[in-house]
Amino acid sequence: MILRRMLVALAVVAAVCAGVNGCKKDEPKSTRWDDAAAAVTTVQVSPSGAPAAPAIQAGVLPKYFPKDESLAGYKRVHSADKEGYAEAKLQKDGKEVAILSIADAEKLAYAKAKFDTAADKLDGYPLMTVGNNQTSVLVKGRFQVKVSSQTLDNDARKGILSKFDLKGLEGT
Amino acid sequence: MSESLHAVLEGLPQSSLTTHVLGALDWIVPGEWTNITLFEAMIKDVTGETDEALIQQVGERALQLYADESTGYQRAVQVYRGIDSASTVAGAAAMANLAGQRFEILSFLTDVTPRADTTQAIDAGIKFAGELVGFTLCNGLPGDSVGDFVASLANYGKEERMRLAAWLAIDCVLPLGPDFVTKVLEALDGPLESIQENRVFEFVSEHLPGGIAEQRDTIKKNVEESRGHLEGMVSQHGITQETVLAKVKEYVAIADDKLDVAAAALDLGTNTFEHTGIQTVARRVITRAYGEI
Repeated sequence: MILRRMLVALAVVAAVCAGVNGCKKDEPKSTRWDDAAAAVTTVQVSPSGAPAAPAIQAGVLPKYFPKDESLAGYKRVHSADKEGYAEAKLQKDGKEVAILSIADAEKLAYAKAKFDTAADKLDGYPLMTVGNNQTSVLVKGRFQVKVSSQTLDNDARKGILSKFDLKGLEGT
Repeated sequence: MSESLHAVLEGLPQSSLTTHVLGALDWIVPGEWTNITLFEAMIKDVTGETDEALIQQVGERALQLYADESTGYQRAVQVYRGIDSASTVAGAAAMANLAGQRFEILSFLTDVTPRADTTQAIDAGIKFAGELVGFTLCNGLPGDSVGDFVASLANYGKEERMRLAAWLAIDCVLPLGPDFVTKVLEALDGPLESIQENRVFEFVSEHLPGGIAEQRDTIKKNVEESRGHLEGMVSQHGITQETVLAKVKEYVAIADDKLDVAAAALDLGTNTFEHTGIQTVARRVITRAYGEI
């Protein structure tokens, strides 16, 4: 076995050396994320001591997603159910057209704070667009419900948001 | 300190024997897979956003989510890596630098011993259990959630669909032929030791509940319940030993037409689970980050 591996390794080395002239170097990698990645470690070593509301366990959030019968022409496929985050893919004719998500923003102050300037409302909850491809509503000052799509416009995304059980979510 | 998500993704080769083989199998899942190895490019692909500040925010949140071990994403990467590291010789990675020409794996073939059908069949079954485990870790489900996994197979897209196609072509049809499911199930019914001794099993077993007998049941159930989808994919896309070998040979020089030898050499020289698995995890984490920010 060891001899076999050595033989293979030798063969590979020979192949690489023989092919040096044909080598193509990879595109240079960006250093854009290095600082952010290093900062993550720092945060983890000394977490902030601020008390947080109890975590939302897996299994809680999916039940507030739109019911299948309310999504005429679409098919919904749940794709994540984790602590504080649930997600579903929305498909039409077998193609993914949107991602639906509910995220607990309790520990993400900036995620909640952006709604301070929200001018619109949906069923009384602050509503806004994020970037070009998201429409989002904040429920209970804590849960961010989003529809993200590169093909559906804001009105269509808002229409899907209205199918979530936002009142039920308010009661969690 | 664990490796950060952007480092893991950007550690993947832009051109390698693996990417050539995946490219050769594109006909099974046309247009589903492009080889995205830059973190920023993956964020743009997932979100479609152009605002640099927003892209930065998504990226930073994704790095945080991945760094938090409790999210399970790091373990998913470990499983995808484990599936391949167990079957790929270390030296094969060096071939990743060879590009711009057809890959030459003739030198491999002189030294590769094809595996017995039973060994290959067990390997294929356990790798597929690894796919189940990767799926459950990413999505937050228990390791034996076979029903959810099977239901989701039809909705597999992009890197995950490419990975499934490559597994079907290289691990199943090429070495085992059209009745690969039957062969896998029969092999899994053999002595438990043959499963325990499998090289991939150790990376998968810790995520499957129960003892060895229950773990075998889960591995078998996973294949049995996916059977319809897998066989449908094979027949729908015309995946045969001949079509796989012919396509691969367009991109990779294989002198030997013996199917089992070609399959063993491809298994030895490629890491399709690791490569596309890391891309899947990056996509899943970035999708979540985009939902959270």
